[in-house]
Amino acid sequence: MGSNNSLAVRCRSLVKSYGSGDAKVTALRGVDLDVREGELLMVVGPSGCGKTTLISIIGAILSQDSGECIVLGHDLQRMNETERATLRGGQIGFVFQMFNLLPSLSAVENVAIPLLINGTPQKMAESRAREAIEAVGLGSRPNVLPSELSGGQQQRVAIARALVHDPKLIVCDEPTSNLDHDTGVAVMDVLRGAGKKHDRALIVVTHDPRIFQFADRIAHMDDGKIIEVTNGASAL
Amino acid sequence: MLRVAVKMLMGDRAKYAGLVFGIAFTSFLVTFAASYFTGFMTRGFALISENPTVDVWVMDPAVRSVEKTTNMAASALDRVRSIEGVRSAVPMALGTAEVRFANGQFQSFQVIGVDDATLAGVPPPKDGVVPAALRTPDSVIADPGGTSGKLQTPLRPADQWPGGGPRLDVPTRSLTVGDELLVNDHHVTVVGKSEALPRFPPRPLLYTTYSNASRILLPERRRMTFVLVSAAPGVAASDLAALIEARTGLRARTSDDFKADTVSWFLENSEDVGDIAAMLTLAMSVGFGVTGIMLYMFTTENLRQYAVFKAMGASSRMLLAMIFVQVALSALLGTGLGLGLCAIASQFAVEAEYPFRMMWFTPLVSSVMVVIVSVVAAAISARPVLTLDPAIVFTGR
Ligand SMILES: Nc1ncnc2c1ncn2[C@@H]1O[C@H](COP(=O)(O)OP(=O)(O)O)[C@@H](O)[C@H]1O
Ligand SMILES: [Mg+2]
Repeated sequence: MGSNNSLAVRCRSLVKSYGSGDAKVTALRGVDLDVREGELLMVVGPSGCGKTTLISIIGAILSQDSGECIVLGHDLQRMNETERATLRGGQIGFVFQMFNLLPSLSAVENVAIPLLINGTPQKMAESRAREAIEAVGLGSRPNVLPSELSGGQQQRVAIARALVHDPKLIVCDEPTSNLDHDTGVAVMDVLRGAGKKHDRALIVVTHDPRIFQFADRIAHMDDGKIIEVTNGASAL
Repeated sequence: MLRVAVKMLMGDRAKYAGLVFGIAFTSFLVTFAASYFTGFMTRGFALISENPTVDVWVMDPAVRSVEKTTNMAASALDRVRSIEGVRSAVPMALGTAEVRFANGQFQSFQVIGVDDATLAGVPPPKDGVVPAALRTPDSVIADPGGTSGKLQTPLRPADQWPGGGPRLDVPTRSLTVGDELLVNDHHVTVVGKSEALPRFPPRPLLYTTYSNASRILLPERRRMTFVLVSAAPGVAASDLAALIEARTGLRARTSDDFKADTVSWFLENSEDVGDIAAMLTLAMSVGFGVTGIMLYMFTTENLRQYAVFKAMGASSRMLLAMIFVQVALSALLGTGLGLGLCAIASQFAVEAEYPFRMMWFTPLVSSVMVVIVSVVAAAISARPVLTLDPAIVFTGR
C-alpha cells in the first residue's frame, strides 16, 4: 500500500517552449502531473499537443523553462548535465517509436549497452542482457542482428534494453505506432508483463486507443496541458 | 563501450572498407609520391654520389648545385692543395657538347673530365674494359645516364661517315668499343661503355680525362669546374670546407651539404621539379582531404546512434573515446595497408628503373601525417557529437 502512494514523478506548472520571437512555439503551458511508483501511466492526446516534450523533460533529456519536475526524488532543475546523464544511465529506461537499435550489434549486444555505459564488465553485462531478452520472449534468438527481426521483435529487444539495468522509471514514446495492431498489443503485453514492478513507474505516450487497456491511469493532454486524468481499464 | 565502437565501425562493412581503403590510398599516395620525388632528387645529385671518396667539393663562389655550374681559374687547384688538412685534391671539368654519331645524327652529351693521374670518378666500364683505357688520346667512355636508345650508330659500315648529308633513318645498333664520335669537330673513340647512376634530367654522358676534355670541349678561358678534395685522416670534412672557403674565397661544400644544396637549387630553379612538387603536393592534399572528409562523414552519419548513447547516460568522455578508437583503428589499418602496397609498388618501380627511392623515414613521415589528419578529422567530427541534443532520439527521422 505505502509504496503505491509515493510518487516517482511530480510535475507542477511545467512550461516549455521552443524557438524565440515569431517562431516561438509553446509546447507545454503549465503541466501538473503525478506518476506513482508501480503504476503504468499513459499520456494520450492529439499529435503536437506536447506529449514527447513532456516525457523528454521527465526523462531528464530536455530542460524545462519553468515549473517544477521531481523525478525519483531529484529536482531536475537543480541538476547539471553530468548529473542528469548519471540519473538517466542509472535509473531511467527508454523505449522509442523508432526502436533506435544499433544495426551492427546483435540483440544481446544492443540490450547490454545501458549496463556497459554504467561500467558493468562485458561478461556480466551480456549475461544479464540474455536474461532480459528471455524476459521479453526472445530467448531463442539472442544473437541475431536487428535487421533479421520483425518490427515487433525489434521493439521487444528495445524493451529488454530499457529493462536490463533495472531502472525505477521507464519512459516510452509511442512504442506501438510503428507496429500493426496485433503486434502493438503483443508488445504492450510484454512491456507491461516484464516491466511492471512495485517500485517502478512506467510512462507510455501514445495516441493509439487500442492499447489504452494496458493503462492503470490515463493522462489526457491537449494543447500543452493535462486536461484530465482517468483510471484505465486495467485499474478496474 | 570501446568494443561497441569497434563493432559500430566494422558492422557497416561498405563504409568501413571505404574508410580503410581511403586511408590506405592516401598513405600509399603520399609515400609513393615522396619516394618518387626523392628518386628524382637522388638522380639530380648522381655525380656527387658517384664520387664517394670525395669529402669536399670546391667550386666557383656562385655555384649552387652540381646541375648548373661555371668554371674556376686553373690556379684554384694549387691553392686548394696548399691548405693543411687536404690529403688530395684533383680537378674535374664538366661541359656540354653536341655530339655527332656516324650517320650524322647529333645528341647533346655531358662531358665529364676526370683527373688524368687518378681517373677518380670514372664508373667501372662494362665488358672487362678498365678505366685506364681512357689514357689513350681522344678516348671516351659512353654512358646512357638514364636515357635509353640514345647511344646508337649505323649498323652498316656503308652508312658510317658517308659523304654528303646525314642518314638518319638507316638501321642502327648500339654503340660499342671502337666506334667513333665527333665532338666539336674532334674525332673521339669509344673505348668503353658504362652504366653509372642514372641522371636527372636524363642525358647521355661521356667520361674522359681532364686533358681530353680540355681538348674536345669548346675553348674556354677557364676549364676547371670542381676541385675534389679528400681530407687528411682526422680532419672533419666540414672543418676543412670552412677552412678552404676562408683561405681561397671559393665555395667549398661537404658532399652531403652539396647534395642538399643541389636539391634546394632544383626546388627553387627548376620549373620541372617545381611542377612535379606542386603536383605531388596537390595529390597529397586531395588524399588527406578525402580521408578527413570520410572520417568526418562516418561519425556524423552515426549521430543518431551517439544520441541514443547520450540519452542512455553516456558521458562526453566515453563518446570521445569511442570516436577516437574508431578513427585510430581505421587509420592504423589503412596506413598499414597503404605502406604494404607501397612496398610492393616500389619493387616494380625499382625494377622498371623508375626514379624511386624510399628513404627509411618516408613511410614514417606519411604515417604521422595520416595520424595527424585522422586526429584532426576526429576532433572536428567530435564537435557535433558533443553538442548533440539527445532529445532527437524521440523525434522521427
Ligand atoms: N525541437 C523542436 N523545435 C521546435 N518546435 C518543436 C520541437 N519539438 C517539438 N516542437 C513543437 O512543439 C509542439 C509539441 O511537440 P511534441 O512534444 O513533439 O508533441 P507530440 O509528441 O504530442 O506530437 C509541436 O507544436 C511541435 O511542433
Ligand atoms: Mg511525439
